[in-house]
Amino acid sequence: MIRSKASDQQPSRRNLLSSAGLGLGALAGASLLSACSTVTPTGGAAAPAGGAGSAGTNNPAYDSAIKSLVNGRTVQLGWTPPILSEMFNQMEKAAFGRMAELEQTYGINWKWERSAPTGNFDAVEQQVSIVRGWTARKFDAVLVCTGANFATMQDVYRQASSSGTRVFQFNQPVELYDEEKINTVSNIGYDNRWQSGYLAGTFIAKTLGGKGKIIQIMGPSGSDWSKARQIGFEKALRENPGLEVVGSADGGYLRDKGLNAAQDLLTRNRDINAIYGENEDMALGASQAVDAAGLKQWDGQQGVVIIGADGLLSGMESIAAGKLTATVDVGSVDQGRSFIDAVFRSVVLGETVAKTIEVPTRVVTKDNVAAAKAYIEGAMRPAKSY
Amino acid sequence: MSTSSVIGISSTRWGKVLQNPSAGALLLVGVLVISMSIAFPTFPSAINAGNVANQMVFVLLLALGMTVVLITGGIDLSVGSIMGLSAGVGAYSINSGAPLILGLLAAVGAGAVLGLANGLMITRLGLPDFIATLAMLGIARGLLFLWTNGVPFIGYMLPEYYVISGLERPFGFITVPIIIAAVAVLAIIFVLRKTSFGRHAYGVGSNPHAALLSGVPVDRVKITAYVISGLMAGLTGMLMAGRTTTVAPTMGLGYEIAAIAAAIIGGAALTGGRGHALGAVLGALVLSITANAINIAGVSSTWQQVVTGSVLLLAVVFDRASALLRERSTRSAGRLAVT
Repeated sequence: MIRSKASDQQPSRRNLLSSAGLGLGALAGASLLSACSTVTPTGGAAAPAGGAGSAGTNNPAYDSAIKSLVNGRTVQLGWTPPILSEMFNQMEKAAFGRMAELEQTYGINWKWERSAPTGNFDAVEQQVSIVRGWTARKFDAVLVCTGANFATMQDVYRQASSSGTRVFQFNQPVELYDEEKINTVSNIGYDNRWQSGYLAGTFIAKTLGGKGKIIQIMGPSGSDWSKARQIGFEKALRENPGLEVVGSADGGYLRDKGLNAAQDLLTRNRDINAIYGENEDMALGASQAVDAAGLKQWDGQQGVVIIGADGLLSGMESIAAGKLTATVDVGSVDQGRSFIDAVFRSVVLGETVAKTIEVPTRVVTKDNVAAAKAYIEGAMRPAKSY
Repeated sequence: MSTSSVIGISSTRWGKVLQNPSAGALLLVGVLVISMSIAFPTFPSAINAGNVANQMVFVLLLALGMTVVLITGGIDLSVGSIMGLSAGVGAYSINSGAPLILGLLAAVGAGAVLGLANGLMITRLGLPDFIATLAMLGIARGLLFLWTNGVPFIGYMLPEYYVISGLERPFGFITVPIIIAAVAVLAIIFVLRKTSFGRHAYGVGSNPHAALLSGVPVDRVKITAYVISGLMAGLTGMLMAGRTTTVAPTMGLGYEIAAIAAAIIGGAALTGGRGHALGAVLGALVLSITANAINIAGVSSTWQQVVTGSVLLLAVVFDRASALLRERSTRSAGRLAVT
């Protein structure tokens, strides 16, 4: 499997397992190529993400055998992200693209229901009742990403599985927990420590030649994503003792709070070399603060390096426009395609998929933004919506 | 009523200062500014003062509307959601080709219309203020999510919008949002002091029944208060859309709490009949300086909520203490008058 540079730096045990898991069987051809097509152009029988392609494997005998196994079955899915956002919109579109390909090749029928809390005050309770509702309605599989307490959700998942609904998580920082205690079929995402926080830290180190002052805009305290990314970022700091965090503040994953926090921190430290925004919105807020403070952004030689993490189309546009130095693209498209594959292979074909499936992530800069952007844009036009 | 002859703390100069409903908040600002200036030399800089002024505009505008609503005895939980939805309306209008000024007016207008809906739900349907605006909080936020599918609005930033939202500062620290906020403060002062609506608002808040009996158009006063609050939320959304250059569907999340806190710190009461525009300024200043101090002092994010909560508590405790002092001095003055 060809991996992006990003995952080469820290190939985790689970990452290897996951590629082995999906690597078995001829079907994997399409999914592997899709996972790597930001690095290598797709070819052969594999369909470009989002096009009206098929999942065909160039193996007609296999394809028709699978088609008769599927036997026109209808699979009812429920998908619940913690909030509707650009990130999860990209993921959903990518999932639609993959569903359409599988439908065209193997005649499977999908029923898709999306439900997301609106994030006002009871998001967690809402998600618990969403999953319970889908379980009661005997959905074939539910896909969950949630900010809810770990133990609460394991209980909900256990009940779902025992009444026949298979549970998958996506984009969930499962790396913080004991894999055996997670009551899901599979968790499709990435390792926030080594595939996000660590990457951001090492990117700053590499760009600045190992030496510089950093301010950090952090996610809300107590968030698992924030916790995991911080572990990786701190490892990068330990490996690069020339880097010094001179200030940090909570930006709540929101742009306006990130902007305020960066503005306040900049009054105390005008001589900084880099800003690490734990997500892209906060990094973009910090970028506005840098402009407003009359400081120069990184131009390849000097200025303030600003890096975020997510991999949103709007972030890619900012990178192309020179408003953001870099971002960690956590593979929204590959996550969407991979969780559909995981459902198809375990729920429909009865195969065993790896408990943890990690998609490649990558640092996107001006140099490779064209590929990363085109990949997402392609996935935003699925052949069919569900 | 003179208190000069009363012996005790309430007759001293300090006593008089402490009887001012905003004394607690003022004292807090003073303590914060002095201690932060000693600990962090960059804190009292002109740049930082400019930052605080520009950051407080948003909460201030919401707190002004909230103060008016609180005076009439209501509460508006929907301002954060209205702010987000109005910003969406503005961004969408500009993206669909409307001239900038129309887009901005559409945002402010959307806020006023949603405020009107609040007022009508409360007066015509007889819903409790808390419930009606809680429903609006959910509806406006939900609509924005459904409308955007979670994808933020972008691409509406015309060059003039950068100036209007204060991102570009052609006149130094005095940005357009600061000017707008100053005008809004003056307008609310005028409305509360010089118009019949203002006089009625306090009456409706203190005793709606008595107000009704004495011929005050209670429903109209309440509706007007919610329209003002909605309008302020729309204005805030319009400015915030410019400041963040994207309208995420989460825009304004939790701002209703900040607005209520600022209004209360500034001396407004949840029981109605109390509050003033300058109090809202003070309340917004307390919250903004606290947030700014937390960031500059590098207080760990786990502690931020504790600190902000404590500041709110402290301000309200001061307010209660000063109310008690006022009461005591009024009583003793009354006793002297009798004897």
